[in-house]
Amino acid sequence: MMATMSRRGGAKIRPPRRGLQGADVDFDTTWPILEGAFKEIHTKNASALSFEELYRNAYKIVLKKKGEELYNKVARFEEQWLGSTVRTEIVRTLTPPLTLTDGAGRTLATSSERRTAGEKFLKSLKHAWEDYQVCMGMLTDVLMYMDRVYCTDHRQPSIFAKSMGLFRDQILRTPVQPASTTLLDVLTRIVLDQIQMDRDGEAIDQFLIKSNVYMLEGLYESDLEVEDEKLYLRFEKVFLDQSANFYRDEGERMLKESDAGSYCRHAKKRIDEENDRCRSTLSESTSAKIQAVVEGELIRHKMKGLIEMENSGVAFMVDNDKFHELSLVFDLEARVDPRKSELTRAMQRLVTEMGTDINNAALTTSEATPQREAAGDDEDGKPAEEGAKQKLPAKPLSQQTVAALKWVEEILRLKDRFDKICTTSFSSDQTVSSAINRSMADVVNTFSRGSEYISLFIDDNMKRGIRDKTEAEIDSTLEKAIMVLRYLSDKDLFETYYKKHLCKRLLLKKSVSIDVEKQMISRMKIELGNSFTLKLEAMFKDMTLSEELSNGFRAHIAGVMDGAHNNSKPVDLSIRVLTSMTWPLEAFRGASGEDRDENSLGGRDITLYPPEIERLKSGFERFYAQKYSGRKLTWYNNMGDADLRARFPRSTRIHDVNCSTYAMLILLLFNDLPAGESLSLEEIEARTNIPRGDLARNLQSLAVAPKTRFLVKEPMSRDINSGDRFKFNDDFKPSFIKIKVGVVSAGNKVENDRERKETEKKNNDSRGFVIEAAVVRIMKQRKQLPHAQLLTETITQLSHQFKPDVNMIKKRIEGLIEREYLERMEDAPVPSYKYLA
Amino acid sequence: MAEQADYVTLVSSDGYSYVVQRSAACISPAIRRMLDPANGFLESKTGVIRFDNFHAILLETIVKYMYYNEKNKDARDIADMDFPDSLCLELVWAADYLDI
Repeated sequence: MMATMSRRGGAKIRPPRRGLQGADVDFDTTWPILEGAFKEIHTKNASALSFEELYRNAYKIVLKKKGEELYNKVARFEEQWLGSTVRTEIVRTLTPPLTLTDGAGRTLATSSERRTAGEKFLKSLKHAWEDYQVCMGMLTDVLMYMDRVYCTDHRQPSIFAKSMGLFRDQILRTPVQPASTTLLDVLTRIVLDQIQMDRDGEAIDQFLIKSNVYMLEGLYESDLEVEDEKLYLRFEKVFLDQSANFYRDEGERMLKESDAGSYCRHAKKRIDEENDRCRSTLSESTSAKIQAVVEGELIRHKMKGLIEMENSGVAFMVDNDKFHELSLVFDLEARVDPRKSELTRAMQRLVTEMGTDINNAALTTSEATPQREAAGDDEDGKPAEEGAKQKLPAKPLSQQTVAALKWVEEILRLKDRFDKICTTSFSSDQTVSSAINRSMADVVNTFSRGSEYISLFIDDNMKRGIRDKTEAEIDSTLEKAIMVLRYLSDKDLFETYYKKHLCKRLLLKKSVSIDVEKQMISRMKIELGNSFTLKLEAMFKDMTLSEELSNGFRAHIAGVMDGAHNNSKPVDLSIRVLTSMTWPLEAFRGASGEDRDENSLGGRDITLYPPEIERLKSGFERFYAQKYSGRKLTWYNNMGDADLRARFPRSTRIHDVNCSTYAMLILLLFNDLPAGESLSLEEIEARTNIPRGDLARNLQSLAVAPKTRFLVKEPMSRDINSGDRFKFNDDFKPSFIKIKVGVVSAGNKVENDRERKETEKKNNDSRGFVIEAAVVRIMKQRKQLPHAQLLTETITQLSHQFKPDVNMIKKRIEGLIEREYLERMEDAPVPSYKYLA
Repeated sequence: MAEQADYVTLVSSDGYSYVVQRSAACISPAIRRMLDPANGFLESKTGVIRFDNFHAILLETIVKYMYYNEKNKDARDIADMDFPDSLCLELVWAADYLDI
């Protein structure tokens, strides 16, 4: 650091004076001076000493190459000083309460006695350490030259480090009495004892302990002073072990004795406490470690037990909306496991449990009633339905529908509930909420009637639910439906049901608002994609087209009438022309519940019409053929309805009767019949050609149901049997101007088992085609592909529609091989297929 | 030893005193420690340091250097300080002693 000299030529360089080099110094005379001074320093009498003098003396000794000698002397001096004076001082403070703490001795002294004694010991140790540090600081300063020159050159630890090592060896590592514990052990035990007192709520001198911890942190295992070999680590290990034991015991006790909520609070408190303790009493560096210990003992190992605690665990919290406690559990779990697997599992289990309950409840509700309905619904149980019809609208819902509505509502409630828990208690944690969602989806998907029920839910809302609701409410209802739909994996099955239900709503004009229907479709479009709603939209399109067609036809008739001066009354026809591919018309056949196979409704219309209707019909056919050539119309009379204006003998007014097309045909027969005559069932059948099932059903509405008993049946019984005779009911006195004759096949009900099987089979068939199409698409692109990869690609392609069954895919691949779309590759290392163009 | 005075006195072996700014003097670790109140040696109380092995000329050069250093402590690329060649060996030795 010295500025360099500027060298001027010729100047004489003065040699240093001899005295400065200290050549005249004699070690043996100089050392006693230093030694005496050191003693003064240790006894705190340094103020009389001249630093310069001591420094100069030490300097001279080192300069005379006696550095090593000095170093050793100093070390020995310090060793003696520590070993005798300092240690005795400390050992003296080891009073009985402390020495007795060994083994069973713990009980011999009360904690306050132990605490006082411990504090005394700690205090004296602290003093010894602090004094020694100060003194050694001074000593080191005096011996600075030795450190600088001798220690560096000879690779010796500085005298300060050396003396710290001496302190460690002489004070801490030396047994208190021969063959007994060292002071370090005593210190550790006392500190731990004090911490334990702190944990038990007794006030301790935190600062005192902290000072001792400082000491441990300042000392190293060896004189090399390696950073990670601090003495403190030794203490820390014991501390952590002891804490682990303590918290393990405490955790177990708490699990047994208290409820999960207070456990969580307690655990949280303990963690904070330990954190504070590290700051105030121990070392910051421990805080993460002790935290890990407490978390491990109180949370990780106990989480399962905690979550499963009876009458207070997570299940209890969820049941009782204990959001705060749930959030505690969440916080704790989040500490030990970023994925919160225990909690997630518990929540999933709960969702599944509650969901299964809902599923089962729905099943029992739906099965509690069907006795009555199933008996009637299937074969010829018209009475039941008739009964239901008549009580309309008081009890318009079949039990199945109730079950469906309830199921959807419950599922939504369940979702809402867990959503709320997620947001309020789990701070919307991604992993947990997605796990819950997964479970929700599982719940929805394990319920075999899920797709049907969701569709029914929408159906019911479209028909009744939204009638008196505001737009916002409708919106939320739709949103709800979509929400459940989102969970559903078999979307194609849902589509089938929805189509069927929508079809009935549209044709039978049951829908409250077409706008809402369209809204729903557009929502589904957003959610499920274009292809999903394509057919549904086509249905709406058909509806509008039909509207136009009907209007056009009406205008056409009016034109024809004007020209022909025909005086026959015009019959208004409102027609629905439906694209057969888009509309699930078989639903109607199915819903009528009859085996109609012999009745070839599929193609030809064999029903016999009275002349005016027949004229109208052929008129429309001509009209339609003009507009769209090459299209064939198939008439579905069983779906139509008619408005009649009728006079009854017992009533003076003209009544409007609304009935099915078939009922109209039947009634028209009686128009021409002389009063008092009757027709047999067979006669009616022959003159109308109405299929027997529909005929019986319609006759039942006309002759049995009390409010619309236009006909009298002979004999009077509820069932329609062959040979029964019917005649016009002269005594019929309607109480309303408008009469509605029950339409038997109305309403969307839950399917019965046979129907469901049918739907599923149909669904599976269509899935088969979809799978084949997907496989061919993939193979066309890839040309050749291993089996496993083909499977996964197919599954991913189809997953937005439904969850394909692997076996089904395999079967379909077989089928494609048979039909020579694909071939197996013989020489491939893994089973592979090749696309055959 | 109340407040630390801003100046300390350096005394040479032949009795000359130099009153030096404390901060300048403390560029020498040895001097700094002598004056450190925490150590509580005589020098730190009196503020006077006797250098029994420095004669006045040497000490004066040292003090000059102290100020030279203090003045230029923030600057860079400073010219070396001039001092008489005759002192160079003694200065080398003193520098070692004072650790500057």
